[in-house]
Amino acid sequence: MNAPLSDEAIREQIFAIVARQSGVDPAALRPEATLKDLGVASLDAIELIFDLEEHFDITFPDDRADFDTDTMQQLVDAVHSALAARPDGTEAAA
Amino acid sequence: MNPARRRIAITGMGAISAYGEGAGPLWRGMRDGVSAIRPLRHPFASQVRVKVAAQVPEGADAAKQLPESVLSLLDRSSRFALLAAGEAIAQAGLDFAADGLAGRTAVVIGTGVGGEGTHDEQARRLYAENATRLHPLTIVRMMPNAPAAQISMAHGLRGPAFGVVGACASSNHALAQAALLIRAGMADVAIAGGTESCLSFSSLRAWEAMRVLSDDTCRPFSRNRRGLVLGEGAGVFVLEAMEHAQARGAAPLAELAGVGMSADAGDIAAPDPAGASAAMTQAMADAGLAAGEIDYVNAHGTGTRANDRSETQAIHRAFGTHARRLLVSSTKSMHGHALGASGALELVAVLGALVEGVVPPTLNLDEADPECDLDYVPDIARECAVRAALSNSFAFGGLNAVLALKRA
Repeated sequence: MNAPLSDEAIREQIFAIVARQSGVDPAALRPEATLKDLGVASLDAIELIFDLEEHFDITFPDDRADFDTDTMQQLVDAVHSALAARPDGTEAAA
Repeated sequence: MNPARRRIAITGMGAISAYGEGAGPLWRGMRDGVSAIRPLRHPFASQVRVKVAAQVPEGADAAKQLPESVLSLLDRSSRFALLAAGEAIAQAGLDFAADGLAGRTAVVIGTGVGGEGTHDEQARRLYAENATRLHPLTIVRMMPNAPAAQISMAHGLRGPAFGVVGACASSNHALAQAALLIRAGMADVAIAGGTESCLSFSSLRAWEAMRVLSDDTCRPFSRNRRGLVLGEGAGVFVLEAMEHAQARGAAPLAELAGVGMSADAGDIAAPDPAGASAAMTQAMADAGLAAGEIDYVNAHGTGTRANDRSETQAIHRAFGTHARRLLVSSTKSMHGHALGASGALELVAVLGALVEGVVPPTLNLDEADPECDLDYVPDIARECAVRAALSNSFAFGGLNAVLALKRA
């Protein structure tokens, strides 16, 4: 994960991870769809968040409870801000 | 309810909790609305995101009160259970040596995970320190039936003895099994309750990953609730066939009148109000109590978004219009969520309410939530001559266990 990723690559990877978890064809994923819409709720949503954290080596802030209502676009934004908060990986332990 | 069925008296209680040793300090803390949630005390505290917990204070040192000969056999969870059992048995004033009572006394102790501290410590030796041998007592310390076994050994109790696992409903499941053993005539007395001590580094990390922990405090039923606060401790009770208690002139604290158990058979974590209300309804039916006779419900009330909303719906479903007249409180806002021990700590709250006519409050209910629309007894205890009460426990896995208690 050392080489900087293009926005497009990040987006594609997130969509691929969500597609795997939800069983929905990546081509059919809309930015405005929520995880709940995609049938990813409760612990499945928490597991998806874990998959994203592991994949991008990031840590999402702990102050949000309902990932189920996140849209695809919000997830992409959240990954971007978590990547930005991780200049050298030290944020992960904070 | 079968009128010929044996009734169950509770004739002793003991506890160790974030308030220290004793059911008395736990009850008075809850009644007085004093929170025992503190900054997390842990060697890895600076590394984990969780900042608070309701831990048994360092001063409450079980090692000082238990014989040295058994200490090396005991995980922290068994130490807690032994201390609480000793207190309950002393209060009940039973003589197990008389009339073969030891052989007619059961021990049923619930725990969520058993000897987690032992497991974590030995795993650390193995994986972090590359140790080639583990402590020879690792197995007997960590097995989830150890607390029940240790109590049976300490008091020479030879009736049915076993552990019960039901995650956060373990205590209530254990108390229900114990009551059913007495009803079935398999025992006259049962030492029953639950114990938990699982605030290891790995367990804290695992809870963190599930994203259900609050970072500051526990706010059951409040709109700004952010999750649960982990706790630890043990509560152990003496259950006794009513005729046995009466024959020896023992004064019951209350009657364990009914039990209700159900499974959601749905999601592994997300609660279903239908399952919870089924358990409440069954507990009342088993006790022969109408909804209108219940004055108090000690809620599961974890302070997570999902539980508190779902439990409120379940109470509406089980109680109908009487729901609005009930006093409902979550004492987890004070003693934290002691997981497999939580139902036992909360039974102390219910017994206190029945005996003293005071319902302990829910703390930190600082923002009304339209989805949580019952009387949760905010901040300050309420005087109420409680005739009967329910104690709710709902576990991950969708496993529900509810106790119905009546004033003695």
